[in-house]
Amino acid sequence: MTIAAKGTGRPGPAGLLRYRLDLKASPYLYIAPFFVLFAVFGLFPLAFTAWVSAHEWSLLSDERVFVGFGNYATLLNDPYFWNALGNTISILLLATVPQLLAALLLAHVLTLRLRAQTFWRMGMLLPNVASVVAVAVIFSQLFGRDFGLINWVLESVGAGRIDWQAGSATSHIAIAVMVAWKWTGYNALIYLAAMQAVPREVYEAAHLDGASRLQQLFHVTVPMIRPTIVFTVIVSTIYGLQIFAEPQLFGGGGQNGVTGGASRQFQTLTLYLYEHGFNRGFEFGYASAVAWTMFAVIVLVALLNYLFVRRIRSAS
Amino acid sequence: MNTSRPIRAAALAAALVTAAGLTACSGGEDDGKITLSVGLFGDFGFGPLYEEYTKLHPDIEFEERISEFADHHTNLTTHLATGSGAADIEAVEVGYISQYTAQPDRFHDLLDLGADELEGQWLDWKWQQALSADGESLIGLGTDVGGMAMCYRRDLFEAAGLPVERDEVSALWAESWADYVAVGEQYTADTGGYFFESSGNMFRAMVEQAEEGVYDREDNLIVESNPAIGEAWDLTVQAIEAGMSNRLTAWTPEWNAGFNEGTFATIICPAWMTSYIETNAPDAAGLWDIATVPGGAGNMGGSHLVLPAQGEHAEEAYAFIEWLTAPEQQLKVFEATGNFPSTPELYEDPALTGLTKPYFNEAPVGEIFTAAAQAVRPQYQGPLQGDVLATIGQGLGRIEDGSQSPEEAWSQVLSDLESF
Amino acid sequence: MTAVNLADRTADQPAADSRRSSRTALPGRPDRRARARLRALREQPGRLAYLTLVAVLFFSGFPLYYSFVVASRDNSALATVPPPVLPGANLVENVRRVFDTVPFGTALLNSVVVSGTVTASVVFFSTLAGFAFAKLEFKGAKVLLVSVVATMMVPVQLGVIPLFMLMVELEWTDTLWAVIAPGLVSAFGVFFMTQYLRGALPGSLIESARMDGASTFRIFWQIVMPAARPAAVVLGVLTFLTAWNDYFWPLIVLSSPEHQTVQVALSTLSGGYVTDQSLVLTGTMLATLPLLAVFALLGKYMISGIMQGAVKG
Repeated sequence: MTIAAKGTGRPGPAGLLRYRLDLKASPYLYIAPFFVLFAVFGLFPLAFTAWVSAHEWSLLSDERVFVGFGNYATLLNDPYFWNALGNTISILLLATVPQLLAALLLAHVLTLRLRAQTFWRMGMLLPNVASVVAVAVIFSQLFGRDFGLINWVLESVGAGRIDWQAGSATSHIAIAVMVAWKWTGYNALIYLAAMQAVPREVYEAAHLDGASRLQQLFHVTVPMIRPTIVFTVIVSTIYGLQIFAEPQLFGGGGQNGVTGGASRQFQTLTLYLYEHGFNRGFEFGYASAVAWTMFAVIVLVALLNYLFVRRIRSAS
Repeated sequence: MNTSRPIRAAALAAALVTAAGLTACSGGEDDGKITLSVGLFGDFGFGPLYEEYTKLHPDIEFEERISEFADHHTNLTTHLATGSGAADIEAVEVGYISQYTAQPDRFHDLLDLGADELEGQWLDWKWQQALSADGESLIGLGTDVGGMAMCYRRDLFEAAGLPVERDEVSALWAESWADYVAVGEQYTADTGGYFFESSGNMFRAMVEQAEEGVYDREDNLIVESNPAIGEAWDLTVQAIEAGMSNRLTAWTPEWNAGFNEGTFATIICPAWMTSYIETNAPDAAGLWDIATVPGGAGNMGGSHLVLPAQGEHAEEAYAFIEWLTAPEQQLKVFEATGNFPSTPELYEDPALTGLTKPYFNEAPVGEIFTAAAQAVRPQYQGPLQGDVLATIGQGLGRIEDGSQSPEEAWSQVLSDLESF
Repeated sequence: MTAVNLADRTADQPAADSRRSSRTALPGRPDRRARARLRALREQPGRLAYLTLVAVLFFSGFPLYYSFVVASRDNSALATVPPPVLPGANLVENVRRVFDTVPFGTALLNSVVVSGTVTASVVFFSTLAGFAFAKLEFKGAKVLLVSVVATMMVPVQLGVIPLFMLMVELEWTDTLWAVIAPGLVSAFGVFFMTQYLRGALPGSLIESARMDGASTFRIFWQIVMPAARPAAVVLGVLTFLTAWNDYFWPLIVLSSPEHQTVQVALSTLSGGYVTDQSLVLTGTMLATLPLLAVFALLGKYMISGIMQGAVKG
């Protein structure tokens, strides 16, 4: 509260200098904490990893051999890597697309004048309260082959039992359900926060023009909260490509958890990384190469995604 | 001003909590007392023994750190590689031990600390397992061993018209695994039920009994050339094709459930498995019984206690584990948990051999597992022992779920192993 | 306070004016009261809305309820056909066993310290940086923002080993600092706030404050922070949840029981040859209770925060 000048019009010469300094330096000052802390705790590990990826380097011994791009060459020639990439993208699509659409609709419903509004809104976050361990135990029960609740229901209504883990498609669906269960409400709340910032007058105009609620959602709300949608799409893509805990726990935590099933039918990229870096042989060098390759893949997919969302934007 | 309360409150709270965090972080040295940390996977039943030891040595106290099986070994490897974070005393399961004996510099040499005088105390192969590759140093002292038996469901055997008493059951497959599979084929054909829970376990039991396993003594993989492995594979495939396997993955809730529900009739039972069954299937008391395993004796599981070199209290830690793995204490652990002692001196002790378990229809577990442990022929365990067996197990899994033919599965196992 | 209100009005005015002018041509433009009625009508939820919400809540809540069912029984509950749907009688016994096995109080305190610090710091620094990226002009802004987003694309599992080595150098292993420090800022938070403020904060608001001679920080303090409030509350809750449930890194870096967070302490319940699922779930349930309390407390704030954003536009 040291600022005396308020509504006094143009500042004096000394004030002008301070004003220009403020204008130039402030932005950097404000983003500095992020970048400084990130440099220490994020950049160092990254750079170190890049160096490690050029070595044959196991945590089990002190020996390190420089191999240049050798690890990357091995990686690109490993069919299991491509398998993991395919699985990851399949699970990503299955989990993200329905999830974001559902979140959008849910957020729309939540903007209405509901009774017990707090209750409904907080309820959306319920799945996020559950820890990874709880999610694992519960969903492996629900999707269990012999004693699972879902199979029990399927059988009761006359449909056959499904061995969710064994098949490629079924395991992807089960994992996508786990992911969507946890994050739909979360994204709905993010949308809700953005929707609340849309001025009401805009809706009134649309209402006068005879737009239905659903039309309003897609023609008024969605364009208005576009930055937030871009945000959720990109973030979901980034985190979706790194999906780890769900498939690992779905596989039962043992070897099937690490390889994503006996046929690697649901091994994701991060599981592939984990298999090499923290399991068999602790091949830190190779796992680092996997991480950097993954990074490249994620950048690529995120970029495609961004371009796609931008197209939608200009189309609408 | 109150419009932005949350963020301002957040800024203030950050400062306060940070200060609080600082003070909370300051751990301290105790008044001349030494606290030994002990890192385990699961409860080893050591609790009362810490207290007993502290009574004997009032200046030593304990701090137990338990984590999940896989996490425990992953963390230990990380902590060893970075030279920090390991406990003074760490447990290592047998599947991982040769991974660590390959890097003896990362552990205190127990031969220097006094273990050189105790060699005869443990089963010879148990001692050998913790020796470094060059045989010059010892990284761990043995706790339990997992001599194998065969647990079976009395009720299911009776319903299938098979003998029920354990001697007769043992006699069914006393000759060989082939007899075991023959009984299973009969059982499955007659009842439509499953004879065992997973083919991987059956395969592993056969391999553990062989003279040579998946590695030779020079750490070369001999999966393809070892005839014992080929035979075990073929027999297991035969059992799968007869529909004998319940296709369960070990340690999953479904697998746990099977013990209670009786979805399978037999399971390979190392000593530690008995308490697992007892805890997991309380309602099946009296239904399970224990017979001998086909194909002679073999070991599955068991652990060592090691002292990471980064630990500062080597002598105190050593004194404790020497005491803890002595026969008297191993007996107490067995009585509390069912983990079977690795010290042969006890195998003559009626306190051990006379022990029976009410849950298993009063089966004489002391006698059964003593015989099993004594008969074990030592088998060399290579560096990635556990991973190799798991890879082969997954091959069997692919046959089980119908995604591959036995030939395809086998050739994929071999190509997978090439990258090891 | 006054500055904010003033700014609000100046921001709303032009927008409202333009709309009004576009509509004045229409005959029979509804007066203020009719508009309010219309708005109420539009926002009146139908039966379908409630039905959707009930269904969603059921599917969100059922797995949690189910974990409570298992926690209140013994281990064999997961193995019966049909699966049990009602709580059993073992809850008290299981809770007692959890408290016997795990130093729960200490772990709870540690988790509160870690999650609280991380949340406060993330919310504050994200708002600050988000404001800069969304509304201030400076060289390299675009590149820097892209690099913020890029940092999210680094697979976390991999940073673990170098990060651990760094903590060894700093002598922070097995202290709460090792968990707090890497969490103090978050790329997710910065990106989230940037995108939110882009949409929610009218540029004219800042312009007019500048005309009044306000410094950048004053603008941040008096205009941006109030406007960011709905997003700040959401970000805070999400960050707190994530920090509370974090497991992978704390497990590696926090080893002694007196420094463990709740999730790490809980991992001692599972493990070994014998895993008692009902005990594990009782533990996770107990760890969830403080979260639910925070929720109940913040719930009011969250809603009023969101509504406030709505009024201001």
